[in-house]
Amino acid sequence: MLKHLTAAIALLATPLAAQDFSEGSQARSWNLYAEIPAKFEAKVVDLVCEFTGDCPADCGAGKRQMGLLRTADDVLILAMKNSQPAFTGAAVELQPYCNQVITVDGLMLDDPDLGARNVYLVQSIVPPGETDKIKANTWTKVWAKEHPEAKGKGPWFRRDPSIKEIIATEGYLGLGLEIDEAFIAENF
Amino acid sequence: MRHFTLSLLAGLALSSPGLAAEGTRIQVSGEIIDTWCYYSGVMGGPDAVVGSAHHTCALWCSAGGIPVGLLAEDGTVYMVLKVGDDTQTAGGDTLLRMAAHTVEADGMLYERDGLRYIVVSDVVSDLDITNKNHEDYGNVPGFSIPDPNK
Repeated sequence: MLKHLTAAIALLATPLAAQDFSEGSQARSWNLYAEIPAKFEAKVVDLVCEFTGDCPADCGAGKRQMGLLRTADDVLILAMKNSQPAFTGAAVELQPYCNQVITVDGLMLDDPDLGARNVYLVQSIVPPGETDKIKANTWTKVWAKEHPEAKGKGPWFRRDPSIKEIIATEGYLGLGLEIDEAFIAENF
Repeated sequence: MRHFTLSLLAGLALSSPGLAAEGTRIQVSGEIIDTWCYYSGVMGGPDAVVGSAHHTCALWCSAGGIPVGLLAEDGTVYMVLKVGDDTQTAGGDTLLRMAAHTVEADGMLYERDGLRYIVVSDVVSDLDITNKNHEDYGNVPGFSIPDPNK
């Protein structure tokens, strides 16, 4: 009897962090040092709401940082990146599923030396009640709709008005235009 | 009566604010960084993806909605969720204008599952960019400054 009880307690005490979420993942490698494929079910949460109790119904309309509260172990994952290799985050991809439970597939970063834990790149989403996955790659389309005045050739980050304004006044290095000029003359 | 109770509960769920977590008030100094490049290593080592060397890329990532962090002098990274009244930290202008700056922040710290999150109530000081590491690393990535000869 005692033996069975001990075994049951040991089973319950098994750290959930040891769970392997790579099973069934079809995430594409980005050849990152600390990447681990991870597919899991989670509730999409607004992080400001989660910590402060300030909870708009739309989770901030894609302008607040979002988290994924993993169903299996209640661990809060920081959704840091979407699937586009274009300096783009994950909030816009996840916000449509505000406070809903979805399945995500992507890459977890785990680098204890830098303190990277439960940091995630979302590659695909299976919406609630559906079986087909959709790619987490809508950020640039959303940006284009929000910035019709910035239409043109080249990647969004060369055309974004706010970025261009800062570079025009502070320079690429952020130290002023004179330092930029000297750096460019020396290095290009 | 049962319907009334259910309606009341449903109404409360829709209108009431969420439960707040318990935070700790802190003051912390450090650099406003692009956390994706810092954690992923995609553009180089951690010393190269901060400061003036990485300023332009930090602008791109901040405007792109990637979480912005405050890298403290002891190496701790605090994920910035709010600055003053501004909750738009996924692509908003407040943090964009502080990219690569050294700041002192007063706010509430929340620790959860290995990460530290900060809700900044006040930016006590903003020293602009103090880490002039382009002298060691150049511009990172190399394409962050368009080649004027092309």
